[in-house]
Parts: sequence; C-alpha cells; structure tokens
Amino acid sequence: MTFSIARHRRRAAAVALPLATGLLLAACGGEDGSTANGEEPQTITLSYASANTGEKAYETLAQDYMKAHPGVTIKTNRIALNAYNQTLTTQMQAGNGPDVMYINAGTGQAGSVGQLGKAGLLMDLDSSLKSVLPEGTEELYSLDGKLLGVPSAVTISAIVYNDDLAKQNGVTVTPSSTLQDVLSQCGKVKAAGKSIFGLAGSVPQNPGIMAMEIASSTVYGPNPNWNQDRAAGKTTFAQTQGWRDALQAVIDLNKSGCFQDGAAGAGFDALTNGASQGKLFGFFAPSGATKDIMDAAQGHVKLIALPFPAPQGTQTYAALTANIGLAGNAKTKSPKLVQDFIKFSVSPDEAKKFADAQGSIPVGSDIATSDLLPQYQPIADMLKNKQYRPFGIDTWPNGQVYDALGSGATGLLTGQKTIDDVLKAMDAAWSS
Amino acid sequence: MTMTESQAGAVGATAATPKPAAGRQRAYRIGYGYWWWALPAVALMLAFIYATTASGAFYAFTNWTGIGSFDFIGLKNFTRIFQTEELTGALVNTLLLAFGFVLGSNILGLLFALALNRGLKTRYVLRTLLFMPVVIAPIAVSYIWKFIFAFDGPLNETLGAVGLKSWQRDWLADPKLALLAVLVVMVWQNIGFTMVIYLAGLATVPVELEEAAALDGAGPLRRFRSVTMPMIQPSIAIATTLSLIQGLRIFDQVIALTGGGPAGATQTLATEVYQHTFVFSNFGFGAALALVLSVLILIFTVVQQYATRDRL
Repeated sequence: MTFSIARHRRRAAAVALPLATGLLLAACGGEDGSTANGEEPQTITLSYASANTGEKAYETLAQDYMKAHPGVTIKTNRIALNAYNQTLTTQMQAGNGPDVMYINAGTGQAGSVGQLGKAGLLMDLDSSLKSVLPEGTEELYSLDGKLLGVPSAVTISAIVYNDDLAKQNGVTVTPSSTLQDVLSQCGKVKAAGKSIFGLAGSVPQNPGIMAMEIASSTVYGPNPNWNQDRAAGKTTFAQTQGWRDALQAVIDLNKSGCFQDGAAGAGFDALTNGASQGKLFGFFAPSGATKDIMDAAQGHVKLIALPFPAPQGTQTYAALTANIGLAGNAKTKSPKLVQDFIKFSVSPDEAKKFADAQGSIPVGSDIATSDLLPQYQPIADMLKNKQYRPFGIDTWPNGQVYDALGSGATGLLTGQKTIDDVLKAMDAAWSS
Repeated sequence: MTMTESQAGAVGATAATPKPAAGRQRAYRIGYGYWWWALPAVALMLAFIYATTASGAFYAFTNWTGIGSFDFIGLKNFTRIFQTEELTGALVNTLLLAFGFVLGSNILGLLFALALNRGLKTRYVLRTLLFMPVVIAPIAVSYIWKFIFAFDGPLNETLGAVGLKSWQRDWLADPKLALLAVLVVMVWQNIGFTMVIYLAGLATVPVELEEAAALDGAGPLRRFRSVTMPMIQPSIAIATTLSLIQGLRIFDQVIALTGGGPAGATQTLATEVYQHTFVFSNFGFGAALALVLSVLILIFTVVQQYATRDRL
C-alpha cells in the first residue's frame, strides 16, 4: 500500500511539475507587455555597446521615445564594447537576442550587418530610411537590396589634435598641410622631448586607423571604388601604388621621429599619459574621442579633428564613417514598434541630440551644411566641398585584412616587415 | 600498521577478494562503494566535457562562422594551418615558450627548494614570499610586468640610473626580446609552484641517508646526483608534466604583455585560437587550431608520462 501511495505521489508530481513550470513560464511571459487582443507587445529590449560608462546617447534616445509614446517600455542593456560582438552573436544564434541592437556596419566584424543578415536574423527595414544613409554607406547596411540597419551617427577617422598645445611648441598642422610639412617639424619637437603624434603600436587597430587615414587620400582619393575593384579582382593591395605610398608614409613618420619613443610597443595608456602630460599633440582615433576627452578634462583642453595630411602632390581627404548603427531582430514579437523606434532614432531632432551627446555629425543631415560641433570647424570647408571618402575598411570582407594592416604597420616600425610583406599579407587575408 | 574495519570494507568492495564465507564475513561487505555509484558523475563528465569537446572538434572540419549554417570542408582548415607562415610561427613560439618554461621554472624551483629545504632560519618566510606570485592572477602579474618593461618604465629607468643606458631596450616591441620577456614573466610567477612540489619531494629524503653518503666522502653535487635526485624523481615527473601543459596552453601572459605582437612575433597557438574564433569569427578554423593544440598537449604529455613511467 505504501508503495502504491508513493507511486501515486510520483505520478501526481510528474503531472504537476510541468504544469506548474508551464504556468510559471506563462506568468513570466505575461510581463513583456503583450496584450490579449492580438496586438504586439509594447515592451522591447535595446542592447548597445559602450566603452565609456558615462555615455548616455542610446539611453537618452530610449527615454525620448518612451516620453513620446506613453505605454511603451524600452529596456536598455549596456554591454562593454570589448565583449559586445561576441555577446550579441551568441544571443542571436541562441534565439534570445535583443529586439533592437547596436550593430557594426559592413561585413568585417563578428556580429556585423553582413554576418547577421546572411543568417537571416535581421529585420528588413522600411526602404524609405535609405534616405538617411550618408553617401557611399548604403552597402554597409544593406544585403541583397534589403535595408537591414541604419547608422546612428557619422564620425571621421581623424587625428585628435591639441592645436593650442602644438602652437605653443611652434608646430603648425592644418587641413591644408602636407605630409612633408609634418615631417619637417618632427625633429625639433623630438629634440624637446615631445612628439607630434602618439601611437599605440601594440594595439593593431591604432597603427591600422593611422594607415587607413593616410590611404583615404592616397588610395581612395584617386579611386573611391577601390574596394569594388579589389573585390572584382581588378587590382590587389600589392599592385596599388597608393597603398605603397601610405605605408611609406608610416616609415617616414617613424624615421623622422614623429611618434613618441617606444611607440611600437605602446598601448593606449601611453596615449592618455602622453596627452595629459603635454608630451604629444595628437593621436589617431574616431573623432568622437575629442568630446570624450574634452568632457573628461572638464573644459581645460580644447581638441580638434584633423584629416591626415597627404603626401605632397596628393589631395587630402577626410575618412568618413557611419559604421555604428541600429538594427532590428527578425524574430521580434514587436516588429512595428521596432521599425518605429529605429525610424525615430534617425529623425532630425533625435539624430542631432545623439550626435551632440557622442561628439559626432548627425546622421541624415546634409554634411555640407550640418550644424557642426566646434571640433569639426577646422574641416568644415573640406566637408562642404565633399573632400571626404568612406572609411575603406567598412566594406572589406573580413577583420583579418585590417589586422594584417595594423600589425604590419607595427612591423614596419620594428623592421620586421617590408612594405611588400604587409601588402602580401593583406592580399592573403582578403582571400582567406 | 593495522587496518580499520571500515578501510578493510572499502578495499573489499573494490578489490578482487576470495569469496567470503556466510555469516561473519558478510559484515565486512556493508556498502563502502560500488562502481555504479560513480555513474552520475561519469555521465555528467561525458555529457559536459567529452561530448562538448567532441562536438567542438567536429566544427574543426567546417567553415562555421559562429552563426548561421556551415559546410563540411574536410581537412582544409588543417591544410591552411600548416601552410600559413604566421601560424607555423605561432606553433614554434608555443614550443619555445613551453620548453623554456619547463626548464626555467623547474631548474629555478628546484634550486630554491634545495636552498630553503632546511637549515636556513628564515626559510618559512622566504618560502611564503616565493610562493606569493603563484596566488596572483596571471593577467594581473602580466600587467605589472608590462609596466616594468615599458619603454619609460622602471626597468629602463633603473638601467639608465646605474649608467647602463646602452642596455635600455623597447623590451616588448623588440621582436628578438619580446618572447623572452614573456618567458621571464611566466617563469617568475611559477617558480614558487615548482618549489613547493620539490620541497614536498625533498621532505621524503631521509637525512640519515645524506649523512651516510657524506661520511662515505660524497660531496654536495655527488650527494644530490646519487641520493637526492633519485628520491625526488616523482616530484620531477609531476612538476615537469604540469609546467609543460601550462606552457603549451600559454595565453594570459601573451595577451596582456604583447597581444601577440610586435607584428605577430609572440603569437602562440592559444592566442591564435582566440583571435580566429572570437575576433575574426572563424569558429571552424579556430576549432581546428584548438584541436591541433589539444593533440600537441596530449602527445607531449603521453611522451613525458612514458619517459617517467617507472619512477612514479
């Protein structure tokens, strides 16, 4: 008899446990804001990456939308920049990704528009949003003619430059300077124990962004479609004189003492330390860094964004990028709400607010006439005259090419590599 | 030496024993462990370690990017590994670091163990001081050393201060020195660990035996070679095996000190696995690299176990 009661209890438990679990899950599921009449849930999630804990641009965007749309809840989730791509990829693969996500444009990185788009995980966006895409960036957010994301802001890959400090030390670099103008001033600065540029050679992205800034003039200036030509097999890195000129410029800058001592092994800490001690005047970074640093210095430092001066006889171009944006999850239960939120993010008012918070240029605005922040004033004319090119790496096929460029540029400084070695490695990485 | 009843029972349950007589003998068979008791643990280990490892190994034969579908591409990933100069360089670096680590940490660990074995009054304090780096996270130790090795860091400052300015180097950016710098940090942190293993081994060497050898006229070196060494062979086997495995899978120190640079000069198989899998999203290729690393560790460990089999 005891056995029988125990068996009945076990049977009851076998039925009750899944039932209870199901009820609990259902109860949890009800918290997403779904309604009984078949309308989509009015609560969505937004994940974004940030290296700066004080960055509030996406938080403000979510708050503004909720204020303008009572009844809607946007749960934001800030993820550290260095862990974001991997986290997003894992979540999307597992089917529990956010409804709206910060995303890298192009195909080069993990969790980028191209990669998630190919896997069918991104929502098709209203094609009318194509109008907000800056010139030359449509392919970064599209796949097979469908729009899968929109940029959040436009930045320039630039020299983040302390012009006042440089002038106090008798150094003048302007948007109209040439590479030779810079090289001629490096020696005297070096003799004074300072340097015009800081370089974090141990982090491949830093020499990489520097080389790309130079290549914007030497490669993409004369041939804006160089990436398409490379993809079509019409050219290679090794066959392009512009790439050789860009890498030769890196060697010349090093030989002329334009970088700080120990640049090849330096990390980002060397840049922040050098800049804060007044030992270097500029370094290579996205232009949004100007605002971060000026905010941190509480107005004691004034920085500007400069394009890298091209070699004599070559026109200087700024490297423009819109490689950070928003995309929607194809599996969201609130597709209309997600579409509307993404549309809201690029509305003129919100785009301006976002750009001001990030120190960037508003997306969707006419860059030529946009109300630029003070750090962009020195290059206002360049932007007005469309003297810019899309940042080349955004449409490279994978991240290995950029890594080959960055670590190769460091190899040029240490003497481990020749220009041919670097270009050959980049061609190999392109095809891998 | 006597054996308690419970110990006898445990042995009886696992070892082949003569069939017990009924009655009194049966009392010794009261459950002290049956092989099937281990089944849940074995099942969990199979499911969470071996099955997952095997499925990871499967991806080594695919072109999976970490998301979406994939194709089976046979041995292409492995062919690419052995045809890529940077990756064969990483393999060489891994072996250099591993064997340098085994030699450096074991020789120095043994020397410190011999020095602090007995006699010295401050030996307990010194042992603690030498063991302290072991308990600090390798990544933290590496960042401290990165600061020391920096171009304007304390090492170069000290060299300059003592008139050795010509010895100043960009330690972590010099392709000839960067690997050595990584090795120095690895060995420095592990000396305390191998020292403790050797101290345990030295504790088993009877003082009388050494005294007898000394009375027979054996000098310190002869005593070490003929008395101490043979008696601490098990410690040598354990310490070298553990340090070899640790050296082959080296990751934290390289990432923190050099990031694999300058220009790939300090890349190892483990850092390449990380880079290809998580930075470049080549999960299939990363899995192939991880498989090569695992096989390498397995081969060297088996060889080492075989070489020291009769001494353990």
